[in-house]
Parts: sequence; structure tokens; C-alpha cells
Amino acid sequence: MEITFKVYRKDPEKDGKPGRSNYTLELAEDATVLDALLKIRDESDSTLSFRGCCGRGYCGECMMRVNGSARLACTAKVPDYTKKGPEISLDPLRNVPVIKDLVFDWDAFMWNKIKEVKPWLEPESSPVNGENLASEAEMQDLRKVMSCFYCGMCDEGCTVLPVDFKFLGPAALTKAYRLAFDPRNKDSREQVKIVEKPKGIWDCVHCYEADEHCPRGIEPTKRIVALRDRAFNSGITHEAVARHHASFASSVKESGWLDEGRLAVESEGLTNVKGLMKLLPTAAKALARGKAPIPYMHSKRPDADKIKKIFEKAEQEEK
Amino acid sequence: MKYAFYPGCVSRGGCPELYPSAVKVAEKLGIELDELKSVGCTGAGVLPQNIADPINARTFAKAEQLGLPIMTICSTCTGVMAQANYRLKEDPIYREKVNKEFLADEGLEYKGTTEVKHLLWVLFEDYGIERLQSLIQRPLKGLKVSPFYGCYLRRPPEAITPTKELNRRKSYLDELISILGAEMADISGKGKCCGFPILSANEENSLAMVAKHTGESKEKGADFMVTPCPLCHLNLDGNQSRAEAQTGKEIDLPILHLPQFVGLALGFDTNEMNLKRHIVSTTDVESKVSMMS
Repeated sequence: MEITFKVYRKDPEKDGKPGRSNYTLELAEDATVLDALLKIRDESDSTLSFRGCCGRGYCGECMMRVNGSARLACTAKVPDYTKKGPEISLDPLRNVPVIKDLVFDWDAFMWNKIKEVKPWLEPESSPVNGENLASEAEMQDLRKVMSCFYCGMCDEGCTVLPVDFKFLGPAALTKAYRLAFDPRNKDSREQVKIVEKPKGIWDCVHCYEADEHCPRGIEPTKRIVALRDRAFNSGITHEAVARHHASFASSVKESGWLDEGRLAVESEGLTNVKGLMKLLPTAAKALARGKAPIPYMHSKRPDADKIKKIFEKAEQEEK
Repeated sequence: MKYAFYPGCVSRGGCPELYPSAVKVAEKLGIELDELKSVGCTGAGVLPQNIADPINARTFAKAEQLGLPIMTICSTCTGVMAQANYRLKEDPIYREKVNKEFLADEGLEYKGTTEVKHLLWVLFEDYGIERLQSLIQRPLKGLKVSPFYGCYLRRPPEAITPTKELNRRKSYLDELISILGAEMADISGKGKCCGFPILSANEENSLAMVAKHTGESKEKGADFMVTPCPLCHLNLDGNQSRAEAQTGKEIDLPILHLPQFVGLALGFDTNEMNLKRHIVSTTDVESKVSMMS
């Protein structure tokens, strides 16, 4: 099959301006995108830069966008991308500093963020016979997370990173989960506190895009949700989020459902005049249209007492 | 056709235009609603699973007693309940634990048979598109509409799109736009987050998401955006002017709830669908619709 690859180019040693090179080549039916890139480099253009290593979807080095979607070039079969025509576009990931062509800055993309979550264990006890042991049952769930090979697909799929590149992102937060939930870690609360800081777990919108992107089925979003649940149950340290969650919880506990007006003002803080003033223009518009829920003017659901009982029992069990 | 109706908090709180519109549309379609009144909030992804799951299990048990599937009008309610339901159905040991510890006191038990469906899924999977088409009195020709699903109505796959056939749920809203006679103004972020969940934690990012989605829709020439999620509506409509102020760009895009959109095609006028209650003015939509009738 004859395919044309339209490849993103950028060379900082020349003018550094982004462009595109087209390469048309003959490929076998079972060729992967990485096979094609190697052929281009060996036979037509030795200046083309890209990353690739294991060739079997294991190391994550060759991640790039194939026809706009993040893929590992070594597992992306060419025929899967030519259904609309014999052309394939190849680009580096979105929102990352490009070093040259398809090679981008992994440090900025992921490694610097992983460093921020204190990615190591501090066991409480001294090693027994040189080892800190954990039971098989305890490690079962973590083993899945430990199969992460840092391809960065979850970060590429993330909804928050395109609007805020400083967000730690699902890869680093999943690393934090791996440590916070390790039974050998002496202070797992410490790990949770680190990711409770701005740009951490509370900046995640839990849209589950990361889970859909992860090629290993590690489910990074569910890991972030578990970190948030642990923070909730042990006392949230992020001030704004703590106010919001406390108000939400107390209105469900007291009435069975949410008092939205109360949530809006208590999330800002009842003594936070500046924050409350910020709500006024929208609240005034909403009131004019007869739709602003009045804080604390909230009826209880029938059976609210039964819901409260469940709520309190669940809280108690967690303690 | 009858459902245990779970309207959710927002359809009567921050978006009070949603509940009556949905009830009117259901009545016109002949969908009978038995509202679940003595049940709690889903937790909306705010309450942790250990608290939200038992409260949701109680809701499922109540619907099970009625022998009815649950119908919601909120992507977030659907998503949170579908995820809890998945855990309770797939893991009988967990279900038994929740039953024993939290529901037995009330003499309740969740057996794991309740289905949770959004109105959007009900239209396609239970009601039938041909039947819906036969009731269209006002094809919405000439209107350009962007879909916006709400992330909880698309993911995670095991709870939302568990089979290849149900993967089509990801395009129901796109399909509905053309079924009701309108033209699609497609946007890249229709399945992404609206930003609402991080409004407290990071308002700047939240508003940037509002600006991104509504701005793209406006650039594509949409008359309005339609969403099955009232939480998306709160952010995309309620906070659009703040998103405009943050980006310095005028957007002015009306956001309609799913039942309002369906209702207009069924022949309801814009007042009956409570369009005047929105924060972003719907005057242009109203005049276009009035010219159709």
C-alpha cells in the first residue's frame, strides 16, 4: 500500500518555525506508524527526529498524535488510519514544548510533575531481613497501578491540561495514589496533603477521559477519586474545597438533598465579603428571572431522617 | 411506559425551568412518571463513595420496590448513580454488605435489578425514534445547534457504554439534533467537561472551559447549545458572562436543556418551555421559533 505521511516539522537550529513535510512510501499491510517513520528516516530523510524504543507498546517512548489522536506509534497499525484516504498526519502531543519535529519535552510534560508528588516510599519500620513486607492482598490493587509505564496517554487525554498546563495531571496523581495507598508508607496522609495543594486532585474535573485513554486499564480518574475520598474522610486541607464539601455534605445530611443557594454562599465563605460580592451580578440576574435558590429556605425531603442515619453510619465506619 | 422519576436537586433549584419542562414533555410523549420523593441526593461526585453508595443503594431499592427503571434528567445524576449501580450489581458481596449495614434497618434490600437511564437514553432505547418523529409538530429547520453531553453521560465505559451497541449513546444528542430537524454545529469539546466540578477549586480554569466550549460553538454559527446536564447548564449559561469577562470576548450563546429542545419540536411555545428563565438571553431563539409556528 502507498501512503503519504504529513509530518510536523520544527528545527530549533534553523528558523524554529513549525512546518510540515510530506513523505510518500510503500508499506506492508501490517506496517505500524513506527515502521513507517523508521523507513522514512532510513530511506528518505535522515533529519527527521522522533522517539521510539521497544517497538511493542511497552515503553511509551513513541507517543504522538496520529490523525489528531494520541497513539503509540509502534502499536498504531497504518491501515487503521487510512479508511478516509491514503494520508496520515503525525504530530507531537498537544500543549507540550516541542524540541524538534516529533520529539517533545518529557520533563515539562510529565516528569517534573511526577517529582512534585514525592514519588518515593518512606516505610515506618526498619526492614526485616532487608525487606519491608506487604501482604499479597494489600498489593493486589496497587500492582495494577504499578504497571503504569508512563506513556502519558492519560495526560494527553486530560480535559484540564489544555486550559492549565500547570495542573499536575492524571499520570502524576496516579503515582501519588500508588504511594498513598501503599501499606508500607508511614504517613499516607502526607502524600494526600501534597496533592491537595492547588493544581492537584481538586483541580481534576473527574471526566474519566484519562481512564478512556490509558492503554493499561489503570483507570487514573478512579485513583484520583479515591485520593479525594480519602481526603474527604480524613479532613480536606484545601480551604475553598473544604468549605464547599462541608456545605454540600451538611445540606444532604440535614435535608436529604442539596441546598444550592446555601452551597453557593458557604463555598465562598460567609465572612468572605469579596467572594460573596462576586456572586452578586449572577445572583441578581438569576433573581430577575425567578431562579436563584434562596439560601437556607430549603425543605427537607421525606425520609430525610433515614438518609441522615445512613450518612452518619457511613461516616462513623470510615473513622 | 412508566419510570421511577429522579429529577435531581438542580432541576428544581438552580435550574427550576428544567423540572416543569421535562414533566410537560414526558406527558406529551405519554411517558408516565412516578416521582421518587423520599430518596436522597446522589452525592454528585462530591460525597465519597462510602457515603454516596449506600444512599444510592436505598434509591435503587425504592425503585425496585416499584418495579420500575429510574429515569433522570441530569447527566451527573445518571453518571454517579450508574457507577454506584455498577459496583453494587457486579459485586454481590459488596451489595450484601451495603444491604445489611445500611438498608436492613428500614426493611429494605437492593437485589441489583434497577436500571438507571437518562431521558436521552429513554428516547432512543425505550421510546423509539420513529414514535418521537411521528409527534414532531415543529421541525426545527433553520436552527443551528451544538451538542454538549456532560462528561458523566459518556464515561466511564463499564457503567455508561458497557456494550458495543450502547457505545452509540455517545452520539444520541448528535442524532437527535438532526431528528428534530435542526442543523448541527459540531464542537470539539462536546464530550468534555464544562468546568463546573472545579468552580470552587479553580474558578479561572472552570471559566476558561466555559469560554472554550461556548466560544467554539458561537464561531461555528450555533443559535444555541443543547445539554442533557443541568450542572453543565449552570456553568455554561449562568457563568458565561463571567467567562466573557475573563477572556475579554463576547460570546452570548443561549444554552437549552434537553427537554426544552425536544419540547419546542413537539410544538410547545418558548414560554411553556420556560426559556425566559435563562441567564443568557434567548430572545433570538424565541423569535426564530415563533416564525416557524
